Amino acid sequence: MKPLRRYLFAFLLPLLLGLGTAQAADLEIALEPDQNNPATPTMGNAMHFHSAIRNASAHPIEGLVAWISLVEVTPGREQPMDLEDWSAHKAVAGATLGPGTTLATDWPMRLIQSGDYRVVISATDRNERSVYTSPTLEFHVARKPIVESSRILPVALGLPLLIGGVMAYRGWRQRRRT
Amino acid sequence: MLSAFALLLISNQELSLLDNAQVVYMLAGTVTAAGAVIAVILGADAFAGERERGTLVPLLIAPISSSALVNGKALGLVSAWGLMYLLSLPYLWAVGAGGQNLVQAILYLALFGTPVVLGFGYLAMALSARSGSVLTSLLTSLIVLLFTASPLLLGPGLRNSTIGKALDAVNPFSGALNTYDAVIIDSDPFLAQLPRFALVLTWLAVTFLAARRSARRPRFR
Repeated sequence: MKPLRRYLFAFLLPLLLGLGTAQAADLEIALEPDQNNPATPTMGNAMHFHSAIRNASAHPIEGLVAWISLVEVTPGREQPMDLEDWSAHKAVAGATLGPGTTLATDWPMRLIQSGDYRVVISATDRNERSVYTSPTLEFHVARKPIVESSRILPVALGLPLLIGGVMAYRGWRQRRRT
Repeated sequence: MLSAFALLLISNQELSLLDNAQVVYMLAGTVTAAGAVIAVILGADAFAGERERGTLVPLLIAPISSSALVNGKALGLVSAWGLMYLLSLPYLWAVGAGGQNLVQAILYLALFGTPVVLGFGYLAMALSARSGSVLTSLLTSLIVLLFTASPLLLGPGLRNSTIGKALDAVNPFSGALNTYDAVIIDSDPFLAQLPRFALVLTWLAVTFLAARRSARRPRFR
């Protein structure tokens, strides 16, 4: 083998194939609900999920990013959910996982809307192009009677306006008489 | 104030997820507190205000008994509380319709709120006649009201201590609040509320007697 070919095999080929630090990461993600979660979750309840992300490879994983996703699977309303109101803890970023180590994360969530939902944790790292996902957990959020803006707004805005209008009318009539 | 409370409910994510019954309970407590504040202002003005305006002496030499005078002043309190109560009804309906125990909430607000509110009016009236100063009677009554209405802010959890329970047992405002809680949220029957009803009626009777006693010899110099 000529020196140039030897050089190609020794250094360039592994780099082109993505070996070394960019070797495929092997993440195992477990997800389970908290034992204290309500048996029949209702709107307004808080729920917690626990994930364990394990580096099953022989190499350290740097720049790990894990995030929670929520999907509504209510018949006719299937959609990914914006977690803006549901959770303030949506991702873990920048963690480093040594070989065989595990990153345990608690994912709190406030149930905002009724319906059927699936929650899943996804993870990837700085060097890896694959996204690993946990098994999904499914739960149902029961509806409860809460305050409705359609009833409150007319009363909260209408009544002061009505009282103010009546007082203004009376004042106007009194001034007109005098 | 009620409009601000109602708008806060729908503009705040945390509050908008509260159960209807919980919101009705909070609103009933707020209406009672607001009614008590109005009653205190009117009560503080009842005698001391007349004195400061120079109309107390002509009022005292008029051929009316002290009881009639107190009852006449109390009529103003009842009217103000009645108006407050009527104004609160649309708000109670707006936040509580579709939930549980709305009718009970309206009834118990009248049954327990009226003695509590009038009691504070009578207390302010008694202090007004004794002190002869609107400012003194108003401040003293407001301090008493702030102390007794503290359960509105503290919540049942913080009142679960021995001291909290002891204060709740003698505090008429707590009596009304705990009844709202028991009836609106827990759907408890009226019989279970009898001790608290006796507490608020005692409060009304004691403050009425204090106001009548003070009205016999008001400070007019």
